[in-house]
Amino acid sequence: MKKHAITLTVNGEERDLVVPSNRTLLDALREDLGYTDTKYGCGTGECGACTVLVDGTTSINGCLTLAATMDGASITTAAGLAQDGNLHPVQQAFIDNDAIQCGYCTPGMVLKVVSLLDENPTPTENEIRSGLEGSICRCTGYTKIVEAVQDASNRMAGVGE
Amino acid sequence: MTSRVMRDFDLLLPESVPEVLELLADHKDNCAILSGGTDLLVALKFDYAVDNVVSLALVPGLDDLSFDPDQGLSIGAKVTIADIVKSQDVKTYYPALWQAAKVFATPQLRNTATVLGNIMRASPAGDCSLALYALGGDLQLKNASGVRDVSLDDFWLSYGVTARQSDELAISLRVPPPTAGQKSAFQRMTRTTEDLSKINAAVSLTMADGVCQSARVAMGCVGPTLIRLPKVEAMLGGAEITEDLLGEVSDMVAAEITPIDDIRSSADYRRKVAGILVRRVINLALTEGNNQ
Repeated sequence: MKKHAITLTVNGEERDLVVPSNRTLLDALREDLGYTDTKYGCGTGECGACTVLVDGTTSINGCLTLAATMDGASITTAAGLAQDGNLHPVQQAFIDNDAIQCGYCTPGMVLKVVSLLDENPTPTENEIRSGLEGSICRCTGYTKIVEAVQDASNRMAGVGE
Repeated sequence: MTSRVMRDFDLLLPESVPEVLELLADHKDNCAILSGGTDLLVALKFDYAVDNVVSLALVPGLDDLSFDPDQGLSIGAKVTIADIVKSQDVKTYYPALWQAAKVFATPQLRNTATVLGNIMRASPAGDCSLALYALGGDLQLKNASGVRDVSLDDFWLSYGVTARQSDELAISLRVPPPTAGQKSAFQRMTRTTEDLSKINAAVSLTMADGVCQSARVAMGCVGPTLIRLPKVEAMLGGAEITEDLLGEVSDMVAAEITPIDDIRSSADYRRKVAGILVRRVINLALTEGNNQ
C-alpha cells in the first residue's frame, strides 16, 4: 500500500506525518498524533463522535476522511478550542448546563455546536435540534444539550453580561 | 456485523482532469473515484474491494456551482450538498433540489458529500438524485477521447449500476433553465430525520392558467433504481389539478411501483403511503414550489 507524507495543522500546531493510503483522519489524529479527544464511535459517519473542524468552522466526520487527502489542512479538535487557558463559551455552557454525562460524544458535540453557531448565531430550538443531527448522545436525551447551545448563543452575543 | 477496518488500497492523487482520465484508463474496473467519500469509505470498510482509489482532492476546476437564467444550473463534480443548501439561486429556481439538500443526511455529511457522488452511487433512495431526476439534467462524462452528455433519464441502469464507463469521469451536471410556470418540490418519509429515506418523491410541474402543461414525477425506494411514474405524469399533463384528480393520481401510484421489504420499511407500507406522498409533494409544489 502506498504511503503519503503530509502536513496537518492541528490546533494551530504544524505536524508532519507519513500515513498509509487507508489511514482515516480520525486514526491519524488519535494514533499517530495523540489527539485522543477525537473519539471513535460508529466508524460510518452516523454518530459524530469523530467530528473535527476543517479550516475554522466546517464540521466533518474524521472517520470518513482519508488523512492523505487532507495535506495542508487546518484541523481543530475539541482540545484546540480553549484560548489562553479559558474554555470556549460553548465548552463552558456545556459544563454550566450539565450537558455532559458520560462525555464520549462531548468533544464532537461541542465542535458541532461551534460550527452551528458560526453559521447561525441565534438558532431557534428547532434549528438547534436539526443542527445537532449527526451527533448522537445516548445519555442526556438532548434537553440539556439544547439548553447549553441556547446559553452559549446568548453568551457569545454578550447577552446578560 | 462486518469489520470496520478499511481494507488496503493505493490512494492516487492526480492534479488535473487529464491525469485522472489517464489513471481511469489504466486501472479500468479496478479503481474507484473518491470525491466526498461518504459512501465509498463506508463501502471500503465493509464488503467493497478495489486496489486503486483515485481522489479528486487535488484536481482544480471541479467545484463550480453556477446559475445563468438562459443556461440553467451547472453543478461540478466536487460541489457538496452544503454548497447547494447555501445557494440562493438553487433555493429560488430549483426548490425541489434545495429541499432535498436541506434534509440530506447530517451537517457533517452535507459538508463532505457531493451531488454528483450521490448520482454516481445509483442508490434507489438518493434524495438529491431524486430531486434532480424530477428537474431533469444532463451529465457530462469525460474520457481520454472526449466528452459525451447522458441524460439522467438514461443514467441509472439497475441498483448501483450506471451508464458511466469505467474510463469516464463525471465532470458536471447541467440542469435546464427554469421555465415560466415551473413548480417543483421534494418530500420524503424517514424514521428519524438523519436516516435514509424509506420512501421519497419529487415533482416538477409546468403550470399555465391553473392547468398542468407537463409533469415529471419521480419516486425513490420503490424499485431497484429511482423511477419516474409515466402514467401519473400522463394523468397530470393537460389537466387542471383538482382534489378529485389527485385522488385518482394517488390510486395510480401504487400500480406503478414495485417496492420491496427491507430494513427501512415493508413493501406493503410503501405501497400504502406512496400515493399519499405523491399527492403531498404535488400540493407542496403548487403552494410553495414557484421557481422565482
